[in-house]
Amino acid sequence: MKKSNRLAYIKRYWQLYALLLLPIIYLIVFKYVPMAYIQIAFKDYSIVQSVWEMPVTSNHGFKYFLQAFQNKNFLLALRNTISLNLLDLVIGFPAPIIFALILNELSFKYFKKTVQTIAYMPHFLSWVIIYGVALQLFAPSTGFINMLITNMGFETVPFLNESAHWVRTYIGVGVWQSFGWNSIIYLAAIAGISPELYEAASVDGAGRFRKMWHITLPGIKPTIVVLLIMALGNILGSSFDRPFVFQNNLVMDVAEVLSTFVYKYGIKGLQFSLSTAVGLFQSVVGVIFLLLANWLSRRLGERGIW
Amino acid sequence: MKKKFLSLALAGAMALSMVACGGAQDNAPAATTDTGATTDTTAPEVASELVDGKFADTRHITVEVYDRSIDGGSDVTNNKYTDYIKQGMLDKYNVEVEFVAVPRWTEVEQINNLLAAGDAPDICVTYDYATIQTYANMGGVLNLADYVDTYKSDLPELWDWLTEYNMYYDKDPNTGNLWALEAKLAVSNRIVTFIRQDWLDELGLQAPTTTEEFEKTMVAFKDNADKLLGADASKMVPYSASYDIGWRTATLIESFIDENVTDKEYYLNGYDDRKLTENGTKEAIRLVNKWYNDGLMWNDFTLYGSGDSTEDDMMKAGYVGAFTHNWDYPFRNGEDSINHVLESTVGPDAKFVPIDPFKNANGNYTKFVSGPIDRKIFFPSTNDEPLASMLYLNFISSPEVIEYLQIGDEGVTHNVLESGAIEIVAATGDAIQNSGFNIDYTITCNGLKLQDQAKTDLSRAYSYAFNDPELVQKAHEIANTDLKVIAHASVGEITAESGMGDVLSSQRDVVYDQAVVCKPADFDSVWDSNIQTYLGMGGQAIMDERASAWEATYGSTENLQ
Repeated sequence: MKKSNRLAYIKRYWQLYALLLLPIIYLIVFKYVPMAYIQIAFKDYSIVQSVWEMPVTSNHGFKYFLQAFQNKNFLLALRNTISLNLLDLVIGFPAPIIFALILNELSFKYFKKTVQTIAYMPHFLSWVIIYGVALQLFAPSTGFINMLITNMGFETVPFLNESAHWVRTYIGVGVWQSFGWNSIIYLAAIAGISPELYEAASVDGAGRFRKMWHITLPGIKPTIVVLLIMALGNILGSSFDRPFVFQNNLVMDVAEVLSTFVYKYGIKGLQFSLSTAVGLFQSVVGVIFLLLANWLSRRLGERGIW
Repeated sequence: MKKKFLSLALAGAMALSMVACGGAQDNAPAATTDTGATTDTTAPEVASELVDGKFADTRHITVEVYDRSIDGGSDVTNNKYTDYIKQGMLDKYNVEVEFVAVPRWTEVEQINNLLAAGDAPDICVTYDYATIQTYANMGGVLNLADYVDTYKSDLPELWDWLTEYNMYYDKDPNTGNLWALEAKLAVSNRIVTFIRQDWLDELGLQAPTTTEEFEKTMVAFKDNADKLLGADASKMVPYSASYDIGWRTATLIESFIDENVTDKEYYLNGYDDRKLTENGTKEAIRLVNKWYNDGLMWNDFTLYGSGDSTEDDMMKAGYVGAFTHNWDYPFRNGEDSINHVLESTVGPDAKFVPIDPFKNANGNYTKFVSGPIDRKIFFPSTNDEPLASMLYLNFISSPEVIEYLQIGDEGVTHNVLESGAIEIVAATGDAIQNSGFNIDYTITCNGLKLQDQAKTDLSRAYSYAFNDPELVQKAHEIANTDLKVIAHASVGEITAESGMGDVLSSQRDVVYDQAVVCKPADFDSVWDSNIQTYLGMGGQAIMDERASAWEATYGSTENLQ
């Protein structure tokens, strides 16, 4: 009985499973098998040995972790990563929400669509291009904005070549690049709010801001929380191309982040074990933050991400 | 039930692919170790494989070649010159050659990837010895010590050209290991300063011959910007340098270093090839700092990285008064060379001429040069044709091969002038040289080297198409004025240097750049604190290890031969 049931099941649905097979293989090959190589963080890397044969390092395998934490540059990169990411979070996270709320209030459809499309565009530019544009705008003597400033009789502003200004430019350009694209998910969530709620509010005499505050925002709150948890999970993560193209020798004290540290020491300096250790550390801290944020949101009565 | 079956199916698929992938990946590196080991042990017997200097059966080797992605260039792995090499190797040794392109400006990263994947070419070339040392320590590089001696009789041209100096240059005196051969510089010219002759003429000035005069000339350029550049006056950069201050003011820095410095002192401070920690460098940079703050230099230089053409474009547009760079920099790239573009856009008189302004305390124009070493050639342990590879090096070092690759065919890539000099002309299509003198194919030789030395000297000046031979000749002479050849300290591996190359060189650029742009009053504190960081990051450990290695090898000797 049971057996025939199963056979019938397979006969009926095998095509669906066959379809599923390819993505599963992809995940396993590219996401799970490489995890075996996490061991490199605990071993002395050798190019000619397989990862299983490499000898475990001194200090019970933690040699490279200790080495990283004794390295001033690593600590500097860690500090910069956290502070740049926090700034990104504080300034960059609300931006798309506010943008989505404003966009939602627009009634002229074509204008709304045009604004939306233009706001998405920077997302598709590579950071190399964006830096090229930033240089044309912000370079001290040849940048367009600085030329305007000097022509108006003011001093040039070191947007890119002085640490504090650099941080502002870096964060600002980051927000500019991503707020449009990140607003998509909020707009979708807003579209899912029942129009009846708005109608009822209108009947009760609520104005635009009242409706925004009492209907739209609570309506997208679960989405906001999920995205915030994900963003917190990434607090130690760092993209490579954005800091790499933006940094220069005058601002290294604030611009060196973990990804560029790993590139310099690991890829260019051939210290693969050290860079794997740093990468693993980043991931572990990221997971801890993710779990904490998830736990907290559940405690506060939200759904969390699982 | 459904759920159970689903999870079973998933688990099955997972296990299957795990086995498949894991297996394949684990086997690969093991296999390469095996081949490495067998070639090692059979090495001496392989010599007998040659019949009349030729393999009986056809062998196959792969050779790295730099790809510089030249506009309008040809495929670097397949063109007129590669065909010449392939045919020559096949005829002479019965060896098939295949070229593997590696991007020039990311060569170290690319070679890393190839080595790690076990796909590195049989013959690899890099400028970075530290990379080779690191891989050698992991067992990823063949020890050439046996091959160069065992096969010596089969490699006459290689030995003739490189000589013992270059062949054994990297031989570790303690272990006897030889991981790489040093290619040879035919011309050891390094760096020269250039100045706009037409600007000097317009202001009625002479070419500066001392650092002080140079500064005055730069101030004169700045003060007369309106006269020299008219509406573009604000774009003027009297003395231009890039983020790589250590290289772009090298002759100035060297004029501040005591030319009688002992070999030992020079070596202990000599890890950084931009002389960051040599005695004297700080004072040189203090002067550059003054120039920067006096508005004599390019305000934005720190923002443009390696390979950026913004500064070149400023030179070509005629905004730059003087600069220090590779001795042939304004002559490079034929029609697109700085001097040629300048002449055609600004005017027939506009040109950069070589000068030698930075006189040291002893009244000399001393320039420090190392021995005639260039790229480093090594064989990864995946190379199972070491003999065929050595024969390739022999072939590529023979004088007639070097000459053909460098100057190509008459009427296509060169003309013979009345004086007998060879004049390089810009070739097109398949005959185009993707690198000057095809330097990327003549991997054992850098610089013009014809079979006839007199002809070489005569031709060097004519080897830059669209450029004035007299200027080239003058730059060559200046580059060879008051040379001080640095003695080579052969003390074995310095372990503190391993993996630190890029880390320290980027910190070095931070030290230089910040010291140049800071306020003169802050100069000492900026310099000293950044140097402390540099030393703390590993610079000091290298100096200390160098000191003890020197003492272990040379005792209390201060100067080598």
